Amino acid sequence: MEYRFRLAKRMLFNKKGSLIGAVLAVTIGILVIHVNFVIFQGLFDAIVRDISNYRNGDVLVTDEENYIDKSDQALVNWFERIPYVEAATPRLSSTASINMTKFGTLHEKTRIPIVGVNPLRDIRASTVHETVSDGQYVFSRNSIVLGSNVARDLGGAQVGDSIKLKIVDRYGQDQIKRFVVTGIAKSPGGQGFDYSVVVHIDTLRDLMNRPGDTGSIMVKLKDPSKASDVKNFFLASFPNDGFVAETIEESAEQQLAGFRSGIAMINMIGYFGMMSSAFAIVTIQMMLVNGKTREIGVMRSIGATRKDILLIFIFQGMIIGAIGAGVGTAAGLGYTFYAKETKMSFNNSLPLEVSYNWEKIIQTAVLSFILAIIASLYPSYRATKLLPVEAMRNV
Amino acid sequence: MSKVLEIINLSKIYGTGENKVNALDNVSLSIEKGEFVLIVGSSGSGKSTLLNMIGLLDRPTNGKVFIDETDTTNLSDNKISSFRNKKLGFIFQFSNLLTDLTVLENVLLPREIAGTTDSAEKNARELLKAVGLDDQIDKRANKISGGQAQRAAIARGLINNPSIVLADEPTGNLDSVTSEKIIQLMKSMAKKLNQTFIVVTHDRQHFGDVDRVITIKDGKAFEGNLPSEMGVLA
Repeated sequence: MEYRFRLAKRMLFNKKGSLIGAVLAVTIGILVIHVNFVIFQGLFDAIVRDISNYRNGDVLVTDEENYIDKSDQALVNWFERIPYVEAATPRLSSTASINMTKFGTLHEKTRIPIVGVNPLRDIRASTVHETVSDGQYVFSRNSIVLGSNVARDLGGAQVGDSIKLKIVDRYGQDQIKRFVVTGIAKSPGGQGFDYSVVVHIDTLRDLMNRPGDTGSIMVKLKDPSKASDVKNFFLASFPNDGFVAETIEESAEQQLAGFRSGIAMINMIGYFGMMSSAFAIVTIQMMLVNGKTREIGVMRSIGATRKDILLIFIFQGMIIGAIGAGVGTAAGLGYTFYAKETKMSFNNSLPLEVSYNWEKIIQTAVLSFILAIIASLYPSYRATKLLPVEAMRNV
Repeated sequence: MSKVLEIINLSKIYGTGENKVNALDNVSLSIEKGEFVLIVGSSGSGKSTLLNMIGLLDRPTNGKVFIDETDTTNLSDNKISSFRNKKLGFIFQFSNLLTDLTVLENVLLPREIAGTTDSAEKNARELLKAVGLDDQIDKRANKISGGQAQRAAIARGLINNPSIVLADEPTGNLDSVTSEKIIQLMKSMAKKLNQTFIVVTHDRQHFGDVDRVITIKDGKAFEGNLPSEMGVLA
């Protein structure tokens, strides 16, 4: 083995306290990045996941003007012929006033978002039906699913209760219909329809006086990475219909933009943490150099050049970086695994969408390895500046 | 006999103005191959400074140091390192082995630095056997006694067949029995290998008969043992 590397290794391993300290510094730096990634990227991805699962799908088709007047059946069938597509479903949205009399008291709520769904198609393209914690999803023309917050605001509406819904149709006329509550929806993190009500799309069309109109087509893909391809294919196939097709990143951009900059800031903090680790390595290695003055003097006196001394301490930086990167990555992966397996969430909020971003994992490990080497440059340089005669005074 | 060392008008001045100290004052001397030379003198006389100059550990203020007829005064730092590695062997007062390495690895180190590792281990083992450490070779350097460490240091000093072995108070940290053994070892190795030794010591009596004694007093070098007998070296 190259003697400088062997010496670097021995010097380091014989100073276990310093080695552990330096390795811990690198490990903690990496762990901070991993924890930040798991929590904040996990939260971001969870929001994207829920928006995709509940509202926008992987591709969302709307109309430039207002409503899609083309047959939803035709569009859904068109999408479902594409091999990448899992399912597609039409949606229609509006707002409504709802009232309910409970124990002799009238409870009324206005401006409640109302979503019309095709129950048979919706359960294939969306998981919003899974958020129905009590009762069941919309199954008939007069059934309604209340968001948990709406149910609460209506004095504690329950499955089986009868409510009256009023909507203003396209001609400005009030349309009133009575529904039976068949389910209460509650989603972790509130990304579902907790503040909305869900009815059958045909019922909503009737109430809005918009027979055959659709607000949007929500398309769920087998492979979400093909969203752009599907979107482009769709737009190319319907160039003159005034459709707008967006991937989840585009359709949820407004909701995600703020979060994105938050993540960037958190990542910055993580990288600053890594920089602090580098300073810790500088300090520890300076201590190592100061503690090895005699050895440096002896080596210089028996012919080691400044370059030899420089390399010995840079090798130490490499060893610290390699072990730290290994341990830190292992610890980070352990934490990621734990978060993924336990479907980690905070305060019963939405479960984090934990993923292994191997590119980032490798990038972080390599970066910390390089930082450890960079951190060792100054102590190594200082070691080379020791004059043999000065160092030998300690002998 | 050929000259392995020639020093011409060597001076070393520390400090400036009123704090100026002439550690070495115009010293000239030469040493032949195979000579066992003692440099003696009181503390602060300049003997260690002289050894540092010969060992190229420090640069003189004036004068020249020739080793194997090479003028070392203007060599670059890298060349000086290479020169120290190939032409000089060092033995110091205190334990001067690298405690992170084994005895064998310590002895091998100058060869590894030189990059001439062919049969290095065989030579190192032979040398360690010659200094009586063949049963200690795999021990960590901090696990052997002071006397054993000095023996290993002698072996390390000899591994590259240097022109000169420089020893700075090699027995200064040893008890008298061990000192005696180390001195005898150095003298026997010098004789056996026709190796030049320059030894700085306070302990003139223990060394007995040597080829030459040089006394340093107030930065000047004198030939001989006793001040009354000193003749200034030309």
